[in-house]
Amino acid sequence: MRIAFQTGFRDAIADIQRTSEQMATAQRQVSTGRRLDVPSDDPSATTGAIGERATMGTIDRYVRSADSATSRLSIVDTVLSEIVSKLSAAQTAAASAIGDTASPEQRTAAVDELASIRDQLVEDLNTKVGGVFVFAGTASTTKPFTQNPNGTVNAYQGNASTVNVDIDRAKSVQATFDGQALTQGSDSTDIFTAIENLRTAILANDTPNIENGLAAMKRGFDRATGMQSQVGSGEKALDEQRSRLSTQRLGAKARLSKFEDADMSEAISAMNRAEIGYRAALGAAATIRRVSLLDYLK
Amino acid sequence: MGDLFTSLQMATRSMAAQQFALETTGHNIANVNTEGYSRRVTEFAAVPPTIRWDAGDGVEVKDIRSIRDGFIEQRLWRELPDQQKQAAIADSLRLVEVALGDPGSSIDGKLTEFFDSFATLADDPTSATARQQVISQGQSLGTGFGEMVNRLRVAQSDADTRVRDTVDQINALASQIAHLNRSIANAGATGIGLDALKDEQGEAVKTLAGLINVQAMQREDGGVDVTFGSGRALVIGETDFQITATQTPPLGLATLTANGFNVTSEITSGALGGLLQVRDTAIPGYLSRLDDIAYTLSTQVNSLTTAGYDFTGAAGLAFFTPLGSATGAAGALAVNATVAADPSKVVAASVASAGDNAMARQVSNLRDSKLMLGGTATLTDAWGRIVYQAGLDSQTAQNDASLRGEIVRQVQALRDSVSGVSLDEEAANMIKFQRAYEANAKYFITVNTALDTLFSLVGQ
Repeated sequence: MRIAFQTGFRDAIADIQRTSEQMATAQRQVSTGRRLDVPSDDPSATTGAIGERATMGTIDRYVRSADSATSRLSIVDTVLSEIVSKLSAAQTAAASAIGDTASPEQRTAAVDELASIRDQLVEDLNTKVGGVFVFAGTASTTKPFTQNPNGTVNAYQGNASTVNVDIDRAKSVQATFDGQALTQGSDSTDIFTAIENLRTAILANDTPNIENGLAAMKRGFDRATGMQSQVGSGEKALDEQRSRLSTQRLGAKARLSKFEDADMSEAISAMNRAEIGYRAALGAAATIRRVSLLDYLK
Repeated sequence: MGDLFTSLQMATRSMAAQQFALETTGHNIANVNTEGYSRRVTEFAAVPPTIRWDAGDGVEVKDIRSIRDGFIEQRLWRELPDQQKQAAIADSLRLVEVALGDPGSSIDGKLTEFFDSFATLADDPTSATARQQVISQGQSLGTGFGEMVNRLRVAQSDADTRVRDTVDQINALASQIAHLNRSIANAGATGIGLDALKDEQGEAVKTLAGLINVQAMQREDGGVDVTFGSGRALVIGETDFQITATQTPPLGLATLTANGFNVTSEITSGALGGLLQVRDTAIPGYLSRLDDIAYTLSTQVNSLTTAGYDFTGAAGLAFFTPLGSATGAAGALAVNATVAADPSKVVAASVASAGDNAMARQVSNLRDSKLMLGGTATLTDAWGRIVYQAGLDSQTAQNDASLRGEIVRQVQALRDSVSGVSLDEEAANMIKFQRAYEANAKYFITVNTALDTLFSLVGQ
């Protein structure tokens, strides 16, 4: 084939452009640590990166929900512990006033203690976490238990629905509680009415009704411990869920890195290879037509 | 047998012929870097004898021929349109790719933030801050879609500007070719400067072929007729038919007409074909997919919020301003102004209870719902598909452009090997003609010496 003067230069320029482009790409990968600059660098990896980032976003959202649910449940747990201990104190107070051995002073003291326990229970059940009443169902902006000037407690103001928060796809934990389920359950009257009845019975030294009241306190106690164990298992589930989410996030992060990040050792060796190619192309271009028949014409 | 004077004449003529060839060599060397130049070759012919007993009357220049291979040139005209088309697509799509943004910080990131804001509201349905945040993220999502539409429209109008520029270039080349046709027809009679005109013609057609898919047919008079698309005339003989670009509503993009016919869809190759493909097919395709995402998002969110209750317990309003159809949805996505003005109108509850969060959870969980592409993709997946498509389109165009660029380079090398100037060859020719000139001069001197001898005999 006849080799024309221009061919060599045209080829040389094309080669220099190609190799310098390769070198620029390799350099960019090394300096940025990323293998994706524009989608066309690897369309499917770009789509994969979008998917993994969305997955991580979802996981982060569940982690945040789990964190806020955990702090809420731990407060609820503490409150329930207090309720349990107060109901147990109420039982002790009532038991001390039973029978003829108790003096009138002891009865009055028991009645006063019961009133104080009632007030503390109301306070506990009106606990607010993050600005919402946690024992009011979904009516969480309404104070669930209000007291009259004489100390008696009005009927439950909340509702029986509960608020759940999602901590995974199709997995949620309860974040507010039905106050009435705790105070009344399947009883005909709530715990506060039972306390009032108990106080009346103690003052009247009405042993059968004191015993009825004691039984009501016991049922209240059971409901509270039952709810506490439910909250406890919720907290445990949250712990497990958080560690599962963090494992999932690590997985997503690793996949994302595979899509987006340059393999440094490979990128550096690619850069070196590209540089050698570039140097070779430059060198070859510099030697084109360095010798010519014209050199030999005298 | 001729006399000595005839020999002297012959030597002179031969020296002139060699000198002429030397000049041609010089012309070739001078044009070593001229694009489209075909090397010239001086053709010698022996001058036949005029009388019996004569070897001949030396040499004369019969012709100066430019060396070109019509098939290779045609091949180049065929390869160039596709290469230039893919290069134009690759160039234009680079803008689109930049417009689409990085994973996690584009529409996908905005979608995640939007759904996150509803999740935060679900965690804390009575929080005024969370409600305000939902509105802000909704607005930011609307802005994000709007900006994406704008960026794609900018890429589209950029392609349109290049379409107009390309049409101008095509028209200029068409009139140049028509002009050359006239000059070639005129030069045909005398032959003066024909080769240079032909080189210019070849270069013009080559440039034109890169811009638009043309068919070039040689005329008998040496000119060339050029048609494009479905046989539309661009140059016939000395007449060129201009392509007109007319701004057309609603987007103000140029419609191309030739002889009153809309030829926009007929231009499928060359740089112009590539630009039109990006402008009329690729970008509108991405935009309509973006519209689908925005439309589905707004209808799905609205159908949930209108079934729920706001903070005051009133029936929920549509969160996004309801959209009539998917067309233009991405550009129109916005938070319902009534809701935006009053955060308590953000719907979180599925029952009329301020603390309920069921609807906010459902909205937040839309992120995992396969709402798009016939129930196979989430909203974010659908965005990923747009990015994938644009990336793939761009990658394919880049690969095709470089592959076809290689073919074009090889065809050009082939053309060079026939028509290109080789300095070594010209140097060899230079020696050849110089030596021949010297030999002829020597012959001249010899004959002259013989005449001297003759004259000295006469003088005695």
